[in-house]
Amino acid sequence: MNQTEVRTFIEQYFQAFQSHIVENHPDYLTVKLPVEVDKDIGNRPFYWTWVEKMNIAPQPLSLTLYFKPGEIPKDLRAESVHFGAKRLQQIFGSTMKYGKYVCMYEHAKGIIQRSTLSTRRSTGLTPWLVLNYKISFICDKKRDLFLSLGINLHQPRVVREFYPFLQLLHLSPSIPDYFYTNERRVTLSDAAQLAHAEVNRFINEHDHDWAEEAKVRLQEELEILEEYYKHQEQTEKTEDPPDNEEQLPQSDNDQTIHDQPLQPKSNERIKDGLPTLHQKNQLIENPVSLSMSAPPTYLNEEQAETVQEHMNRGGRILDFLRMNGIAETSKEEINQAEWKASSLEEEYQRRREELCWQYEPRVEVKVINAGLFYLFNLPPV
Amino acid sequence: MTNFSLSLDTKWLPEMEELLEQDGPWHKWELFQLALQAEDSLAIKDFDQLQSLRYLPELEPFPHQTETARRVLHEMRGRAILADEVGLGKTIEAGLVMKEYMVRGLAKKILVLVPASLVIQWTKELQQKFGIPAMAQKKEYMWRQYEVVVASIDTAKRDPHRRHVLDIHYDMLIIDEAHKLKNKRTRNYQFVKEIRKKYCLLLTATPIQNEMDEVYNLINLLRPGHLGHSQSFSSTYVDGKRQAKNSDQLQGEIKKIMIRNRRSDGGVEFTPRRVESIPITLSPEERELYDGVTSFVRDKYRNERGNVNALSLLTLQREVCSSREAAFMTLYRMHQKAAEGSPVREEILKLIECIKRIKTHSKAAKTVELIKQINDKVIIFTEYRATQNYLQKYLSEEGITSVPFRGGFKRSKKDWMTELFQNRAQVLIATEAGGEGINLQFCNHVINYDLPWNPMRIEQRIGRVHRLGQKRDVFIHNLSTIGTIEEHILRLLYEKIDLFEMVIGELDDIIERLAMSKSLESNLVDIIMDSRSEKEMALKLDNIGSVIRSFRHIPAIDNSVVQTP
Repeated sequence: MNQTEVRTFIEQYFQAFQSHIVENHPDYLTVKLPVEVDKDIGNRPFYWTWVEKMNIAPQPLSLTLYFKPGEIPKDLRAESVHFGAKRLQQIFGSTMKYGKYVCMYEHAKGIIQRSTLSTRRSTGLTPWLVLNYKISFICDKKRDLFLSLGINLHQPRVVREFYPFLQLLHLSPSIPDYFYTNERRVTLSDAAQLAHAEVNRFINEHDHDWAEEAKVRLQEELEILEEYYKHQEQTEKTEDPPDNEEQLPQSDNDQTIHDQPLQPKSNERIKDGLPTLHQKNQLIENPVSLSMSAPPTYLNEEQAETVQEHMNRGGRILDFLRMNGIAETSKEEINQAEWKASSLEEEYQRRREELCWQYEPRVEVKVINAGLFYLFNLPPV
Repeated sequence: MTNFSLSLDTKWLPEMEELLEQDGPWHKWELFQLALQAEDSLAIKDFDQLQSLRYLPELEPFPHQTETARRVLHEMRGRAILADEVGLGKTIEAGLVMKEYMVRGLAKKILVLVPASLVIQWTKELQQKFGIPAMAQKKEYMWRQYEVVVASIDTAKRDPHRRHVLDIHYDMLIIDEAHKLKNKRTRNYQFVKEIRKKYCLLLTATPIQNEMDEVYNLINLLRPGHLGHSQSFSSTYVDGKRQAKNSDQLQGEIKKIMIRNRRSDGGVEFTPRRVESIPITLSPEERELYDGVTSFVRDKYRNERGNVNALSLLTLQREVCSSREAAFMTLYRMHQKAAEGSPVREEILKLIECIKRIKTHSKAAKTVELIKQINDKVIIFTEYRATQNYLQKYLSEEGITSVPFRGGFKRSKKDWMTELFQNRAQVLIATEAGGEGINLQFCNHVINYDLPWNPMRIEQRIGRVHRLGQKRDVFIHNLSTIGTIEEHILRLLYEKIDLFEMVIGELDDIIERLAMSKSLESNLVDIIMDSRSEKEMALKLDNIGSVIRSFRHIPAIDNSVVQTP
């Protein structure tokens, strides 16, 4: 997106929310944010919880977005917006959130006139389910593809490239006069089945070299790794300490008193398979970190209970933060001495996992948005 | 279909069913269209092309930096050692790689481990230059709360932080000053090895060519087995501790995992340096003091051979060239230390009398003249605190704004002083080169009020302003008092060694290759103290200059391991 496209995009976004444009200057745009936009991109969640809790009239935020490249004039309180700007990325996110599901009807002026003039008989509109997919090919690299499917819910069939077709039509959220909608004979879940089959077909039509190559790369890496650890293990078995330790510099500048060179691992530990350092073991013994063995406690949407839900129950924000945050570990529980290095086997497994995580080819299919469209015109075959 | 796993998003189905049942509320068609447009602009259309630059219109990376980012992504698959020479912008390269993986959605959870003194600097740079929401780690909860965390490795490796760090799967790990990880027996090394990471960048400026083991260890952090296992590595590549064999093959292997851009590769143009010596004639009173101190120093050295520290005596002589304040402080201390009633005390009191008689300060006066003439930002470097304080007072009396800068300042204070200098003051008076990571490229005039004898320190001084991002010629003004030791040293460093004309880092190489048993500095002390006459001293200084000079033109042999041919 160049600067003109960025500006057009932002103007359209604010228009869609009927925002009040305070000033429309060639270099910048000042806009008063409507409540739902403010909540979404205003970066002041605490203000909004406060306003709602106290039941007071909110003061809408005004933003001045500056589009001209280079320095912002000193007398203007504005933020520079370009493709990489955080604010634009927030607006992108907002469109994805508020542009997810639509229901639209085709209004074609020519058709209305003809049908009203000639027969006065009402005409049926065909129901289509439209799914817009983003399909990502992922290995250690990534590529995205788009697929827009239309599924005829009246007479089952699947059509690709549906969104470009929709863009040619005149659409409105209300049903036009003298039209009725044809029955939906296909359920949404049946339509989903059809769509999934089509997605699979689409993926299979694509070149799979990227995945083959990623597999080859992974295999190469795994072989090097295996070879290496096989030898390391033998070395450890035959000599202890493993190598010319006395030649290593005694005082390394990264060593503090606590950072003495590690003791060489004894062979016994490896042979006996004694439990070596492993996070989970430690955590269970440690009551404070119990919350950590559960899925990571980020404050995000995957949270079991959101701030909102918590407050709806009448909870306090502070309690929520205490419950969901990570407390500082008290001094008594800190034990620097419990350090142990991983065994060779653990090291090897960890590195294997890292490699698979990095290279294993996979395809992620995400629905960007979906809609129900009642159409008079048929897509080109 | 057996080639890859497939994850299909079906969340839309129940949501859509519910909307259909209740007939809404539906979203707006306009936003539906904008969402598709947004997704389209964010899409990664190509496996290989760099995407991050679209997001960074204000960043103007050098070609070698974008090329490095490209190679890390495509040839090294996100695991690499970035070993550019100092001043070529490794941080920019790391930032580009990081941004690229973030934009592609391949990296979210990122950890940046740096020396404690650089945490704030890195955080700021990632935020400002790359729009990456990096957080400097302060509290325990932050490890999990934030996606991109910058922390000091010494904090991270200790409990309770270590548990958090080792429990998280990092999409990307970046380690600055990675040469500190060369010893595989240290806790830092083990710690880094245990961090679970997908992509990993190790940044180091120090060429690690000297110890074969170090190269091996560092590479093993990224790709264990890349150079074979330790025995096969030794038998294939090592021929004695510092000697590589099959070096072409080894170089080839190392190049697959390490990128080292050098200034000499071209592509990066440094602006010219312009060096100027400014001779200063001492007033008769100042001359008297200098001569007095000189003979005091000589006598003391000869009379108490072995019992006195030559270096500290010589310091007095250097201080007197800098300012009478600096000399006074040292004399005062010597006086207090000397036994009561000893002849030394008397001699010192005589010198102090000399100091009291001085009404002018030729060097400071010349400096003010110079600053007014430059009429732009200036950095003044001095070796001595007393001189620094004096100069600040003197400049303020002359109506020139200045801020001090010392090694002892905390990081935040250093940043604050840098900012004051940039926005408010004309002059920065510094007693040290500012340490790692202080960038003063907005200034292009340096006054060496007095000269350190350690060439590295002069390098560091100049390096603060003469680095990537400096758009103007750099002017270096060296003040030298005629007929003093200062003049001799300046002649050696400037005329004989051409020090100020060297490229950054070049002298490092030479000193390293010369393998002088003592530092250049202590060689100088010996020469000055042991010479019986000015003439003898000048001759000896001349000789050492010639040696260093001749080495400049012998190409390096030993560091072939990491050189890009």
